[in-house]
Amino acid sequence: MQCNRARELIEAYFDEELGGDDRSAISSHIASCASCTRLASDIMRTSSMVAGLGRKAAPAALVSRIRSRLDAEGREHAEPPQVPWQMPSGVVWRQAAVLAACCMLSVLVTWSVVTSSDQADRLQQEIVAAHIRSLLQDSPIQVASSDTHTVKPWFAGRVDFAPEVKDLTAEGFPLVGGRLDYVDGRRVGVLVYRRRLHVVNVFTWRARTDTETAPAFSNKNGHNLLIWTRGGIAYAAVSDLDASELQRLQTLL
Amino acid sequence: MDQRSGFERLTLPHLDAAFNLAFWLVRSEADAQDIVQDAYLRAFRGFHGFAGADARPWLLAIVRNAAYRWLSNRRRSANVVSLDEAFGSPGDEPAEMQIASDDPTPEVHLMGEVDRDLVHRALAELPPIFREVIVLREIEGLAYREISRVTGAPIGTVMSRLARGRRELRKVLSRLMDQDKPHAV
Repeated sequence: MQCNRARELIEAYFDEELGGDDRSAISSHIASCASCTRLASDIMRTSSMVAGLGRKAAPAALVSRIRSRLDAEGREHAEPPQVPWQMPSGVVWRQAAVLAACCMLSVLVTWSVVTSSDQADRLQQEIVAAHIRSLLQDSPIQVASSDTHTVKPWFAGRVDFAPEVKDLTAEGFPLVGGRLDYVDGRRVGVLVYRRRLHVVNVFTWRARTDTETAPAFSNKNGHNLLIWTRGGIAYAAVSDLDASELQRLQTLL
Repeated sequence: MDQRSGFERLTLPHLDAAFNLAFWLVRSEADAQDIVQDAYLRAFRGFHGFAGADARPWLLAIVRNAAYRWLSNRRRSANVVSLDEAFGSPGDEPAEMQIASDDPTPEVHLMGEVDRDLVHRALAELPPIFREVIVLREIEGLAYREISRVTGAPIGTVMSRLARGRRELRKVLSRLMDQDKPHAV
């Protein structure tokens, strides 16, 4: 071993932090090298001189000072002082927590009411708009048939569910056909019925949840609208039909 | 209170070690007491986060931080140079570079008997980053790995600080011995 390398490792050697090979190499080097022997003895001497200083012992009072600080810390956290004119901090925190919870609740309720009514309103607008658009075109249907066995398979592969298709000619609502539309950011199936000269569009799409909802009636710009959910499928019937006739169709579907 | 007794059982046996380190960092018994007290309080607050088996390096690291905080506050209030400039933050090289550059300083061979008080003075003269590793190694007998945990410096840095610190200590000692000779005669 070279002196340079030995000098790098000599501290670790005396600190007993060296592994086997280096250990034996350095001890044989020290034995054979005068200057490294001198360095080794200096290191050992300084080391033992400093070790000889010993610890500065902590004053006896320090333990009790620490303990009383820890006691005070424990009291602060365990039982807040019951000073009459000062509201105990526990109560303040509880009240703050209740207040915060109330604020949070109110924010959530407002948010959900606003957004849900917004959403419902937007959906109604979109459905009515789609209904009006269908009337502006030459034909509101893409597959013309009063045969449910023609209309139903037509939807297969076009929408992600199988809409229930009923011909209600006997009840005065002849099925005209079906088409695809785009409402609320998704593809929807539309069943088109006729009542006298009125066109009824029944939009259907897969509901987000399985919850059944009763028909909700609304009127937008003179168009009557019924929206309900059944069997995981959402329905929206829209027409300029009389509300009671629209409701009758709803019961038939 | 269970936590409290567990805390005392693990940390109070190291009170002397804690006080010794604080004392050597700030070089004042009164200040060291305040620092240790502060450190024990901080340690107690963080005790639930302590999962190790050996409380000593953990506790000493907290003491060390408290001591450096104290030193830095004192420096700031005294409007002196910045902490980093004076001591170097952990893992920082500049402070070490100022003391001992990479080119090997001439070795000093110590001759004759060395007075205990002289060793004390020499150690006190070293910058804190060297003083602390020497105290932790020579007085506390910590392994490099434990010193690394206390100081937050990698083991390689611990080794080089120890080597440079010891070399500086020998130099300071021999200088102090030379100064003392006229008085001795």
